[in-house]
Amino acid sequence: MSLDNILNNWSDYRKGAEEGGHHDYEHRWTMAINLDVCIGCNACSVACYAENNLAVVGKERFEKGQAMHWMRIERYWDQAADMEHPEQGASFLPMLCQQCGAATCEPVCPVAATYHTPDGLNAQVYNRCIGSRYCSNNCPFRVRYFNFYSYYESAWPSPMEQQLNPDISVRDKGVMEKCTFCVQRIRTVKDRAKMEDRSVVDGEAMTACAQACPTSAIVFGDTMDESSAVSQLWKKHQVKRGTYQSTRGEKANPNLRGYRIFEELNVDPSIMYLERVREDV
Amino acid sequence: MVVSNRSVNPSARRRNFIGPAKMGFVCLLALMVLLVAPTAMAEKYSVTPPTGVYEGKDVKQPIEFPHNTHVKENGINCMYCHTYARRSKVAGIPPTSKCMGCHKVIATDKPRIQKLTKYWEDKTPPPWKKVHDLPDFVHFTHEKHLKTLVFDREFPVENVKEVCAFCHGELENMTVARKVKPLNMGFCVRCHIENKELGAPGDCWKCHK
Repeated sequence: MSLDNILNNWSDYRKGAEEGGHHDYEHRWTMAINLDVCIGCNACSVACYAENNLAVVGKERFEKGQAMHWMRIERYWDQAADMEHPEQGASFLPMLCQQCGAATCEPVCPVAATYHTPDGLNAQVYNRCIGSRYCSNNCPFRVRYFNFYSYYESAWPSPMEQQLNPDISVRDKGVMEKCTFCVQRIRTVKDRAKMEDRSVVDGEAMTACAQACPTSAIVFGDTMDESSAVSQLWKKHQVKRGTYQSTRGEKANPNLRGYRIFEELNVDPSIMYLERVREDV
Repeated sequence: MVVSNRSVNPSARRRNFIGPAKMGFVCLLALMVLLVAPTAMAEKYSVTPPTGVYEGKDVKQPIEFPHNTHVKENGINCMYCHTYARRSKVAGIPPTSKCMGCHKVIATDKPRIQKLTKYWEDKTPPPWKKVHDLPDFVHFTHEKHLKTLVFDREFPVENVKEVCAFCHGELENMTVARKVKPLNMGFCVRCHIENKELGAPGDCWKCHK
């Protein structure tokens, strides 16, 4: 990527933030996560570990906050004082890279290792990354993970390295990494579609987490395709891309559960969450 | 070197029966097509091959396979042996059975073929070495390149070695394959920039993984 490209990418970012999704996208990979059916089983996280060659860092490093879970399940507890069974107040939030349309991580990268692809994804090019960690400091979702060590030395003792996915590189020390929406799967699907002279069909591209989810809480697809399952969901819950809307509290219809995290920051996340419906405990 | 499209204009073949009154008009039309089509096609389908040379090391193979004998003297198509090139990421090394398909009867007195026959009878594949090896972080597919550069361009498949030579050099003049092109990022990117009209992507994530 030349200097021109970097500057164009930055101006894209600015326009994206101000005008709301002006990019000429080929695809717009998007996700919808239904928190009402999420049971917090962590299958998505495990699937992500298997698919994306994520290293298991061990207890000590985990405590230091160095775990490499691209997909993590956050737990929240209801704080009501009069609750008889506080464990009933648990709720889960699968947190992964939101693939923002106007990502805050992109303009701060000094070497353009993270940039916006024509598919609407925030790419992370490992070869280009110099490990400045500006991106992770600028990410409001805290979903970028830094390789503080050469984890591959201990994470896959022989013969475990045989199970590594050859479609994605094993990252070394000093490189930032994050959820890619399983770009290797998207790439495979697009390649196949190109070979057969057709466009990508809805449901063909699927992330590992969506595939592993036992309750189908995660729906993945292309919102450029109006008929895809994920576009239908976004439409149904009246969540729009690009525009700033304070969805919570202002909705007339309580059945519209869709919201995006930190929408007020206007980063245009690609993941819509569907609120959990709580019954009184 | 610019390779132009060599296919015959299909409209020239389809003139079955035309009345004499329309003949003049059709002739004019055909003339126009003949004049315009080749330049338009040449523009659309011309490919600028990547530039750059590289002094590769000799890779010692278990059997000194003579590419020149097979390609130049016998005119065997690259994709006859490297049959996976048009349908998968890797071009592939042919199984020994493919070699034996011919060499059961051809040149059985040569020492190299006797060595091959020994491998075949022992049921062990010859330990071929990889010559053109891309780093693990690069995604490259042969099938898409062949689709764009050969099949979609209607480039004659019997001359596919000219397209293969873009990245692999002229194997018809080599015995054992030798890396003669750098196959580094600059080599790929230069060709991708020059052939943008053919749909060569410029996005990092198209190749880097």
